Amino acid sequence: MDELELLKKDWKKEDASRYPKLTYNEIYKMILKKSSSIVKWIFIISILEFVLWSAISFGLKDAEYNKRFDSYHAENIITPFIVLGYIVLAYFFYKFFMNYKNISATDNAKVLMENILKTRRTVKQYVGFNLIYLALSSFIILGIQFNRDEEMLGYIENASANGELLKFYAVTILVTVAAVAILIALILGFYYLIYGILLKRLNSNYKELKKLEL
Amino acid sequence: MNKELEHSFVEQLEKHQNIVHKVCRLYTNNQDAHNDLFQEITIQLWRAFPKFRGDAKFSTWMYRVGLNTAITLYRKSKRRVNTQDFDAIQFKIKADEYDDTEEEQLKLLYKAVHQLNDIEKALVFLYLEDKNYKEISETMGISEVNARVKMNRVKKKLRTILNP
Repeated sequence: MDELELLKKDWKKEDASRYPKLTYNEIYKMILKKSSSIVKWIFIISILEFVLWSAISFGLKDAEYNKRFDSYHAENIITPFIVLGYIVLAYFFYKFFMNYKNISATDNAKVLMENILKTRRTVKQYVGFNLIYLALSSFIILGIQFNRDEEMLGYIENASANGELLKFYAVTILVTVAAVAILIALILGFYYLIYGILLKRLNSNYKELKKLEL
Repeated sequence: MNKELEHSFVEQLEKHQNIVHKVCRLYTNNQDAHNDLFQEITIQLWRAFPKFRGDAKFSTWMYRVGLNTAITLYRKSKRRVNTQDFDAIQFKIKADEYDDTEEEQLKLLYKAVHQLNDIEKALVFLYLEDKNYKEISETMGISEVNARVKMNRVKKKLRTILNP
């Protein structure tokens, strides 16, 4: 006999000893409890990310070194950059929320997985945008400092007098590139770990379903 | 949430609870994990219940939410199936119901099913529940042809596990 037919024969025996029999009250108590589903965790972590990145992007505005920044009078460059940051945040947050609302346990398995992954992808894109934003703003600030920071102008003058102007520019730019690269690598590494853990099973199950379509 | 809705939900779930127990049986391997998963499926069912229109059978609708919870939504991975910990006692196979070989074979079969991955288990579950390929394909979101092909592969895989 086919193995599964043998199993099916046994599977269908629903005698009382086989499964616990929960009472009405036991089930009622269960519906009052809180879920600990992956969707809830994704929601919490995503909201934290939005908060964290918004705090980093915009909170810096009030930081101490910003007072020095004010002396550059570079508002015409900085303000559009900040406005762009807000618009992008609003866009991603809206997209995230719409995706989140679409997650429903009554969809078929594949659609449910796709909707969860889509929600995650929105947040991932937001983080990606912030990393690019971080790198770009570092270089824009460096550029402004080369032109307008008094301390920097002093160094440039010195270097120029010693005939090492090119070397000074090269070293400063390289150090900035390296610092930004290391920071981005650290952040990406952290993300890789978090999502590796959080979405490992979901990803592998989704891949398994996708594989069936090939 | 109104009391009538609560009452109607709990009453129906009480009646059809074996479906949830069966999902838990396939996806967990001890009583704690079983209860945990049962709890989470109940919450997910309850949350989705206001959208349940009654155009599908309550039990059919339960298969979908139950499997989705087990495969995708449930998170406590440390308590998930580890075949080494497989505990046949949970299934209370009564020795006097079977002759020795059949009982032994069933034990091995359950053990083999536990070694399948989440998606394969879902297919086996729906198959054991006498769902046709149309329903299987609709529940999983794959085509009917692919459901058939995959089911045949799962059968082969089980055979390989049983007769290495």
